[in-house]
Amino acid sequence: MVNSVLDPVSQRYSFIGSSLATVVYVFLLAPVAVTIPMAFGPTNALEFPPSTYSLDLFRILFTSDSWLLPIYTSLKVAVFSTAAALFVGVPSAYWISRHEFLGKLFILGTLLSPLVIPTIVSGLGIYFYFSYIGIGGTTLSLVLGHLMVTLPFVMLMIIAGVQKLDRNLEFGAELMGASPIHMFLTVVLPQLVPSLISAAFFAFLLSFDEVIISWFLAGSDTVTLPVKMYNDLSWEVSPVIAAVSALLTALSVLACIVTIGLRKSTGEDVS
Amino acid sequence: MDRSINLRVQSLFMSPAALVAVGIVLPPLCYVLFTSFQGDAGPLSAYIAILESNLFRQTLTTTLVVASLSSVLSLVLGYIVALHLAKQSPNRRTALMFLILLPFWTSILVKCFAFTIILGRYGIINNLLRWASGIDVQLPLVLNRVGLLVGMTNFLVPLVVLPVLASLLAIDSALYRAASVMGAKPARIFWTVTVPLSVPGVVAGLLSVFVMSLGAFVIPALLGGPKDQMLSNLVDFYNREVLDWPKASSISVILLILASIFIVPMALWRRRRI
Repeated sequence: MVNSVLDPVSQRYSFIGSSLATVVYVFLLAPVAVTIPMAFGPTNALEFPPSTYSLDLFRILFTSDSWLLPIYTSLKVAVFSTAAALFVGVPSAYWISRHEFLGKLFILGTLLSPLVIPTIVSGLGIYFYFSYIGIGGTTLSLVLGHLMVTLPFVMLMIIAGVQKLDRNLEFGAELMGASPIHMFLTVVLPQLVPSLISAAFFAFLLSFDEVIISWFLAGSDTVTLPVKMYNDLSWEVSPVIAAVSALLTALSVLACIVTIGLRKSTGEDVS
Repeated sequence: MDRSINLRVQSLFMSPAALVAVGIVLPPLCYVLFTSFQGDAGPLSAYIAILESNLFRQTLTTTLVVASLSSVLSLVLGYIVALHLAKQSPNRRTALMFLILLPFWTSILVKCFAFTIILGRYGIINNLLRWASGIDVQLPLVLNRVGLLVGMTNFLVPLVVLPVLASLLAIDSALYRAASVMGAKPARIFWTVTVPLSVPGVVAGLLSVFVMSLGAFVIPALLGGPKDQMLSNLVDFYNREVLDWPKASSISVILLILASIFIVPMALWRRRRI
């Protein structure tokens, strides 16, 4: 492919390849592209392209409690579950990647299992479990449920980050007399900052967008934004959804920029 | 003594994680398993009732068909994109990755909303067709199998691109040069070098996408019709509408077993590559 630039046959193939790829890119981005103009449309109709443009939908979104409360709940749950996932995930991911011990595979396997287990199974189970111990429908139950689904991602990202660190620095610090905890806080954590930022960002967005677990755990006064959207989309679609979608899209653009920026600063792969 | 200090430090680093594993992640699975054996007429009655019900059988068939079709479709589309990305210079590739990462990060609810606008009876596609043909076209594109497959494929493509791209980038470019020096045409190079060497990424991508689509819940509920509901939706139906928890749990266990058939080879495949 490198040496055949001038060959007309391979040029034709590469043209076909790029055209097909462009079609797929358009297909992938179409949903994102549609929501932005819709968000500035009229309040009484869902039409594309909108007949009139205004900020009315955003005004409704930011003045009605039926949208503001779910946004507030989602933010609260996302902040607490991200903090919890980092608190639980960072030390354990470090220890798991540096040491062998009894039960390591069991703990790691259990914590990573929500990645592959269909979420509906975890959702139904956690709904039974939390109802049984009497915290069903509370904000705490949502935070713990989201911790379960965000933790595996945090752990994988931190494990990948730790594996790139130079272990000799850690040995050096311990030889010079630093206690393991002191060493972890002053030698390991500062080097992990890029991984910590991307893990925190990932966990926050994952929790903020989480639908299924919240669908089982949300009580009448702890409705999260995705649950509110899911309910709306299942019954009657209100145009305000367009404004919410545009805001969420802005959030995902930010996520992309952070991911790509961190990738450039550390030279690591995005995936 | 050194060992006891080490153990103390270890418990400090590991105990929150162990607590979450034993206190939050495991109990839900145990509850589902336990509840599935709590049917009215004996421990296995919920399973028997479910396996004998036509609704379950239809839903199981739909789940398998939709999961297979959408995995294959997303593999084809994802492969096209991965090939295109693999041929770009590293800088251009980073820029183009944005086009994959943005849909990857986009909320599934935003996508479902957008597809109801694009595919609806008076949606963008039907409007375009009406304008182009001059006839009152009202193709049913959403709340049926078509809408479901479009939504699922759109959701899965970014997940296929990443592993396939990784294995395409791992191919030594000397192989391409050797093949073309030896006189192989581009098509032959594609089928005898590119495709075989990308198999690890294809298998990894296909398995993970298939497992993920077995558990699809939001997309069938919002873009599929009543006949396109999948096993997750059936679990929700028995839990929320019928209030029959043993049946909801037994469907969950069956779904989990079905997913495990593919999770286990996926885990082994990953381990072999590491």
